Amino acid sequence: MSKIIGAVEIGTSKAKALIGEVAENGSLNVVGMATRPNEGMRKGEIVNFRKAAAAVHSALEDAEKMSGTTVDEVYLAQTGSHLIGHELCGSASIASSDSRVEVSDLQRAAQEAKRKEPDEGRTYVHHVRRPILLDGRVVQDPVGMFGSKVDLGYWSIDGENHAIELALHVISNYSNIEVKDLILSSIASSTMMAGPDLRRAGTLVIDMGAGVTDFALYRQGFVARTGVIPVGGDHVTGDLSMGLRILEPYAEKLKIEHGKAVSDPMDEGEDLWIIGNKTIGDRSIPRKAITDVIHVRIAELFEILSKELDGLLDPDELKGGILLTGGASLLPGVEQIASKILGFTTRRASFPSGIDSELAKPENATVLGLLHYGLEDHGLPGPKKEDAEKGFIKKFRTMVGLGSES
Amino acid sequence: MSQENLFPQETNFSPENEIPGIRAKIIGVGGAGLSLVDGLRFDNFQSVEHLAVDVDSRALADCIAGEKLAFGRRHTRGMGTGGEHTLARKALEEEKDIIRKKLEGVDLVFLLAGLGGGTGGGAAPVIARLARDAGALVFAFTPLPFSWEKSRHSMAEECLADLRKFANAVIPLPNDSLLQMGGADATALECFAEAGRNVSKGISAICSLVFRRGMIDVDFVHLRKAFNRRAGRTLFGYGEGDGKDAIRQAVRELLLCPMLHLPDVSKAADALLILITGGTGMGMADLQQVSTEIRQEFKAGEHIVFGAHVDENMGERVQITVLGATDLEAGAPTADVAPSAKEVIASLPKSKVAHSSKLKKEKLAKPGKKVSINAPTNKKVALDQNTFDFMEAENQRGIFGDSPCRNIYAGEDLDVPAYLRRGVKIAI
Repeated sequence: MSKIIGAVEIGTSKAKALIGEVAENGSLNVVGMATRPNEGMRKGEIVNFRKAAAAVHSALEDAEKMSGTTVDEVYLAQTGSHLIGHELCGSASIASSDSRVEVSDLQRAAQEAKRKEPDEGRTYVHHVRRPILLDGRVVQDPVGMFGSKVDLGYWSIDGENHAIELALHVISNYSNIEVKDLILSSIASSTMMAGPDLRRAGTLVIDMGAGVTDFALYRQGFVARTGVIPVGGDHVTGDLSMGLRILEPYAEKLKIEHGKAVSDPMDEGEDLWIIGNKTIGDRSIPRKAITDVIHVRIAELFEILSKELDGLLDPDELKGGILLTGGASLLPGVEQIASKILGFTTRRASFPSGIDSELAKPENATVLGLLHYGLEDHGLPGPKKEDAEKGFIKKFRTMVGLGSES
Repeated sequence: MSQENLFPQETNFSPENEIPGIRAKIIGVGGAGLSLVDGLRFDNFQSVEHLAVDVDSRALADCIAGEKLAFGRRHTRGMGTGGEHTLARKALEEEKDIIRKKLEGVDLVFLLAGLGGGTGGGAAPVIARLARDAGALVFAFTPLPFSWEKSRHSMAEECLADLRKFANAVIPLPNDSLLQMGGADATALECFAEAGRNVSKGISAICSLVFRRGMIDVDFVHLRKAFNRRAGRTLFGYGEGDGKDAIRQAVRELLLCPMLHLPDVSKAADALLILITGGTGMGMADLQQVSTEIRQEFKAGEHIVFGAHVDENMGERVQITVLGATDLEAGAPTADVAPSAKEVIASLPKSKVAHSSKLKKEKLAKPGKKVSINAPTNKKVALDQNTFDFMEAENQRGIFGDSPCRNIYAGEDLDVPAYLRRGVKIAI
């Protein structure tokens, strides 16, 4: 029997809903997809609940219509500068008399790692598992091996309750949909754009959205660091609007049609019309002004990124180079600036084969990644417990003590 | 001078007297203030006096202002404050009687003070308070340090908030944006000079409004009425045109003035001053048209002061200056006279709260919304083809105007355009 699963990204410029059908053999088929402009967000955070909810609901509705089914569980992407990541570690000595590692040892280590409570008013959004060490050596699956101690770690991201509640509320307002889990946007998009080989070789995936830039650094196949920089394509538009003294819609149009992050000697002396119809009120501006405004902003973004990743970009651990995705990565020249500032080969990420060309756009990296990540198994090695059946809202309610609704 | 005896003076105003009994004083405070005063191109208004105030006696000696006042000798022995604004404030508070004497009988004060320095930042709010207390209308022009000068910048913001409590309008001149002034290859110094010229044009425009007879006349009472309340955000812009289409060109340049396109500058004004100076050829119909456009542009409320002057020396040139302020006390009944500084101080604990909360609300409020509340006169008048439709207030408040909080990273607000913070000049 096939299973229907949904993914929702409440993006700063667009809300996206995706519906996938998982066949019995585990293959995923996208059966519905819709995108709606979202005016209820700024920098990855909801500022106008009603507008955001309307955008998400209409995207979900359209995706359901397109797929001809209804969806009752979705993975929801989380971003915003309120998210903070920490490294959590736990360890356990092997309990059994014959020193063979058992699943329960891993669980004890995991429990210890997750014991640290987030600060007041915050909740864990996502625990991403780090490598398991058996007596100091990295092992894929230590169950059944001999040893005396296992160490287990998580890269754990917590966020403000208020922001998370808002996002969950947007979804729960739509018929009777459940949020199956929250997934960090950066992890979703990097799952999509960087295959297992790249992640093992070490790679940095930078997802440049409209409101924020998410990044995830992989080392030896595991997430070493994630982060959110509250600067995105909207900032480029805002800067253009202010720098060229034009209305925002015109700035957005200029950015998309003519925006470049590095100047091209071919463009020297070229002028562009703001509105394009040369009516009264239209005026021409040098292309150089546009490029200059964009260049400063993009360079600053990568400088901040470089500061955030200070000391983590090791050539031996980053053989996969840097990948760019997200709508704002379409600006010509961004990869050149990133290479120069971060000091590693940077290229635009491409989708793996098999993704419909309609969907294979950088702005869809996160929402597609949500489904793929959601389908993968990220638990501890060993037999699965089925307690993951509880939706995230219930988990969240219990976590923040709102009591579970039955 | 108290406010009661201000009115008899104004009613004495007679048309045959070119200069009514209004006294204006330009006060430069601290290093940046003094250099602004020195840079002013005086239009020889007899009733405009210049006063330079500093702790640094050597800097004062070099200044060309008519009156000079050194203070804080006891604390600094005639040297600078070393950026300590609390020191300057304390010193001036101790010697406030001398300042008070200098402010006696002055009706209009232009306060020029760089808020990034110790003297300007500390003394300007005190002088503004004393001037308000003496019954004067206070306009402050305040250069602000670059945003990369982090500690100075945050101090300046503090002083700015202080100054706003007392001045009728404070026009911040952030160095970041001043770099955007002038032509494409202007050096930093030329940019600053250009900004200084604009300030001086602004001041002289206001002075000519008050002191000279014009084509469309306004007197000091109008000005006082329009700006009688504590101002919130302000706007200040200047545009100039020449040739056959001078007035249109001036409007165009005004709307592109870099000083009007800063993150913190208001895009709407409850009180708006529009001043147009042109040669003899300036037509009444044009003036009317332009004034309507500008009013709409800034969603002007009920307090509009419109003045037009003919200056034979202008030839075909036309200059337009606008100065506007949003109202912090929106909704409060209009008082005919500004509350004296004493009243302001008396209500300080309360008004301090109101001040901050209102500013915050302004940030949170949807752009445009506040305007519609404050400006009931904001009727939609059909715009004709000639008006510039590219500046709807809704959009011009800045893209992140509705963002709940500032986007601070390492002391810089990332929502402020990067080119401004990095001092990259954009030539358009």
